[in-house]
Amino acid sequence: MGIMGICTFYFLVPIWWLFVGATKSRGDFSGTAPLWFADFHLGQNLSELFAYRDGVFLRWMANSVLYTGGAALLGTLLAAMCGYALAKYRFPGRELIFNLVLGGVLVPATALALPLFLIFSELEATNTFWSVFLPSLVNPFGVYLARIYATASVPEELLEAARLDGSGEVRTFFKISTRLMFPALVTIFLFHFVAVWNNFLLPLIMLGNERLFPVTLGLYTWNGQVNQLPELRMLVLTGALVSIVPLVVAFLLLQRFWRSGLGAGSVK
Amino acid sequence: MKKKLLGVLMTSALALTACSSSSDGGDEVAAGASSCAPASGGPVTLTFTSWIPKIEEVVKVWNDAHPEIQVKVQTGPNGNGGTYQNFFNQLKAGNAPDLGQIEYDALPSFRVQDGLTNLAACKPVTDAKDRFIDWTWNQVSFGEKDAVYGVPQDSGPMALFYRKDLFEKAGIPVPATWEEYAAAAVKVRAAGGYITNFSQSDINQFAGLAWQAGGRWFSNDGTKWTVNLQDEATTKVANYWQDLIAKKLVSAVPPWTTEWDSAYNKGQAWTWVSAVWGANSISSGAPDTSGKWAVAPMPQWTAGGKVAGNWGGSSTAVFKGSKHPYEAAQFAIWLNTSQEALTLLNEKANLYPATKDGATLPALGKGVDFYGGQKIYDVFAAAATQVTPDFTWGPTMTSTYASASDGFKAAVSGSGTLLDALKKAQTTTIDNLKSQSIPVAE
Amino acid sequence: MTSRKPILFFVLPFGLLFAAFYLAPIGYAIKQSLYKVTRTGTFGPAHEVFGGLEQYQRVFQNGPFWESVGRVLLFGVVQVPVMLGLALLLALLLDSGLVRGKRFFRLAFFVPYAIPGVVAAIMWGFLYSPNLSPFTAVTSNWNLLSADLVLWAMANVVTWVYVGYNMLIIYSALLAIPQEVYEAATIDGAGPWRTAWSIKIPLVMPAIVLTTVFSIIGTLQLLAEPQVFRTFSSAVSSTYTPNLTVYSTSSIPNFNLAAAFSVVLALATFVLSFTFLKFTSRGGDK
Repeated sequence: MGIMGICTFYFLVPIWWLFVGATKSRGDFSGTAPLWFADFHLGQNLSELFAYRDGVFLRWMANSVLYTGGAALLGTLLAAMCGYALAKYRFPGRELIFNLVLGGVLVPATALALPLFLIFSELEATNTFWSVFLPSLVNPFGVYLARIYATASVPEELLEAARLDGSGEVRTFFKISTRLMFPALVTIFLFHFVAVWNNFLLPLIMLGNERLFPVTLGLYTWNGQVNQLPELRMLVLTGALVSIVPLVVAFLLLQRFWRSGLGAGSVK
Repeated sequence: MKKKLLGVLMTSALALTACSSSSDGGDEVAAGASSCAPASGGPVTLTFTSWIPKIEEVVKVWNDAHPEIQVKVQTGPNGNGGTYQNFFNQLKAGNAPDLGQIEYDALPSFRVQDGLTNLAACKPVTDAKDRFIDWTWNQVSFGEKDAVYGVPQDSGPMALFYRKDLFEKAGIPVPATWEEYAAAAVKVRAAGGYITNFSQSDINQFAGLAWQAGGRWFSNDGTKWTVNLQDEATTKVANYWQDLIAKKLVSAVPPWTTEWDSAYNKGQAWTWVSAVWGANSISSGAPDTSGKWAVAPMPQWTAGGKVAGNWGGSSTAVFKGSKHPYEAAQFAIWLNTSQEALTLLNEKANLYPATKDGATLPALGKGVDFYGGQKIYDVFAAAATQVTPDFTWGPTMTSTYASASDGFKAAVSGSGTLLDALKKAQTTTIDNLKSQSIPVAE
Repeated sequence: MTSRKPILFFVLPFGLLFAAFYLAPIGYAIKQSLYKVTRTGTFGPAHEVFGGLEQYQRVFQNGPFWESVGRVLLFGVVQVPVMLGLALLLALLLDSGLVRGKRFFRLAFFVPYAIPGVVAAIMWGFLYSPNLSPFTAVTSNWNLLSADLVLWAMANVVTWVYVGYNMLIIYSALLAIPQEVYEAATIDGAGPWRTAWSIKIPLVMPAIVLTTVFSIIGTLQLLAEPQVFRTFSSAVSSTYTPNLTVYSTSSIPNFNLAAAFSVVLALATFVLSFTFLKFTSRGGDK
């Protein structure tokens, strides 16, 4: 029990600190006890944060939701389809594709970000929403997981039965297989979501226009300017707090699926 | 079927590779002054990237007055924090903005990459030449005739910030020479403080000190570069600070951290040899010391000398590929010479103008409360004219800084010396030039 | 055999995107790495010409790059076992029945994973700062941002973020162990620790392998944390990790050399993990 207590402290105190810090004025932040409240300043910090540079922070939040949510949803579907096909159909080139995909899991992000930028610039498409969104759709690890999950959770007999009933392959996939794979799909979605959410090199290289930034890149640039503009420090802290709230909520809500999905994958 | 599917994958991969590689290297234009004519007909929209705080508000003033030349401003992290990387990437991709903020020490890198438009044919620019302090013009013209690769924006003439109250209380005279400064360091240490904090990681300060002493790190005769990070003057400066470090008379808190702020806020460090913009760094980082600071000219190597160093400063450059160099130049000149723009830049972002009459801005003639009401900008105005004009930056400063700063950090923690660090930085720099096929003398 | 059409329908969308955004950039990087620039005069225009393996020669002679490789390997050798050990311990405790309030703990440990690396690094950067930190007892005695300690300060950030995630993977695997296995053990008179050691751990080995592979890949890709820490600590150089080396080389800009760095790094990561995966998944995957 002691270990659990210490660990809880370790995991939660930084978040508590962030929350307390975001409620303070700049003077109080460095001048008062870091782990307890001083004058409650959260409202002012928030309104300053949302008003700064024409509300660019809210724009970043919206961008992040679009980049990560959109890419993760669509990317999960694509990965599930591909992984499912790799698991359930025998076709020539299957192993080669699977191995290529597996190799893709292991390629460092920086290796791709720069050449991707150059390729996009040939198409005059850098510094656009798509230049970050499209590459984010590809999630080879999702394919890898989908193949494992599909093998594990979609019985061949069921597919045969569906075929005998005259159901088309595509229809079977959407009507039957995705249901069976649902917990696994949530897992892939969350993996993908976090990967895109964390990828900050690609937007860093690809985007010049701050109105297109995801919130991580935005906070990073503010943090880099704290020395020039000390008033940004409180905005960085408040922004950090605001930026994690939606994700924490999403995680708590999806927790049930997340756990069962992981179990399915790793035991295999 | 297998072949077909794979074929699709492979062809699409190859097609992308091929089309993306077909056009690089082909579109370089020979160096030299580009033509610079006003756009024919229709309003012009320019893009401008800068990291000056509140630059939008300054640009808005221009846009309101010039409906025919609208400037869209983009902000980002400071140059080495990511904006330069963006510029290089965009140049490579041929979609750089029309204008960008570039610090003087980065201009050669951009010129080597063929990223800048030579504005020597732009009348608005050449007409304004005499309005700029000579050495700042040298920074953008590389000392060449018919070459103008940017419009000087601000400068960082250096002086000595010191804690007037502490010096008076301890009965230490304000040092006018480096010898006196070293002597004062001993007394300050005896009084429980440090004379200053040696900037172990921001090599720019050291560069400013070397600049003042007459160091010349880079030169280029048109056919090749010569790198000399250990010339006589720089060696002198390095040995001087090495001595202070060895005797533990200076602290070595990493600059630009909250720790560093607090060392000044708590009166642990008594002086800072810094640029004009440092006035704001102190007042925001050490608010508790308000009214206790003063500014004196930079200590001299020879008694009675009047030589200053420079630390920092930017230019507004027009990138290669801009379709409207004439309009871009017009804007850059307005931004950096007009009284209204300079006043705003100074108010909003504490920029110190690079123009000769910039020192006459009303805000720069006032006493500053934080400095006990002293008219500190008079000291910097004098310093600005005392910066020696022929300091040249090399084309790979980022790596030179990185290497030197690694060595400086080691020296501060007791392994090796500042001179060793410079020696290593010299080797690294030459290697780097070679790896980019930039001709360099060994 | 089913018709080809549905297979194409399933595979093609991902396949095309994969080709365009994975294979094409890799091909492009390889091509870039085989070129070099030539110039005439100090400011002469650059021309790209074929340079063969010249860039690779530079990579292998580049001291700072190999130092950074050594640094992340050291980081991985220490941080990965600590993180996974802690994750395993917590998972076993949650599963042991010794702990009340499982749901709360599971959530508490998992929350940091919701925080993006960049934001976590910014938070901890403040927490390490001697003047702002609530842990003054620690930060006034050790400068966590100094050259000696900053690597471990970053290891702590990574650990903090990922322990809960790894714990959850292992915990889920534990939950999936059939109850009968335990019943047999209880009849044999095995205590909770013995059960954990000789039954649970071997059974969740696949989960541990999975988390290890990801931790290794994550370590080799270390970028966001050191990049953010550069604003807090001067001890983090521009070549601190291999990925930072790639990034800073491309910002010189020396795209050809940067491409060669990434190809070497990608290849090394690939070979390492691929061998590992093939080795551990033999038999299990078919």
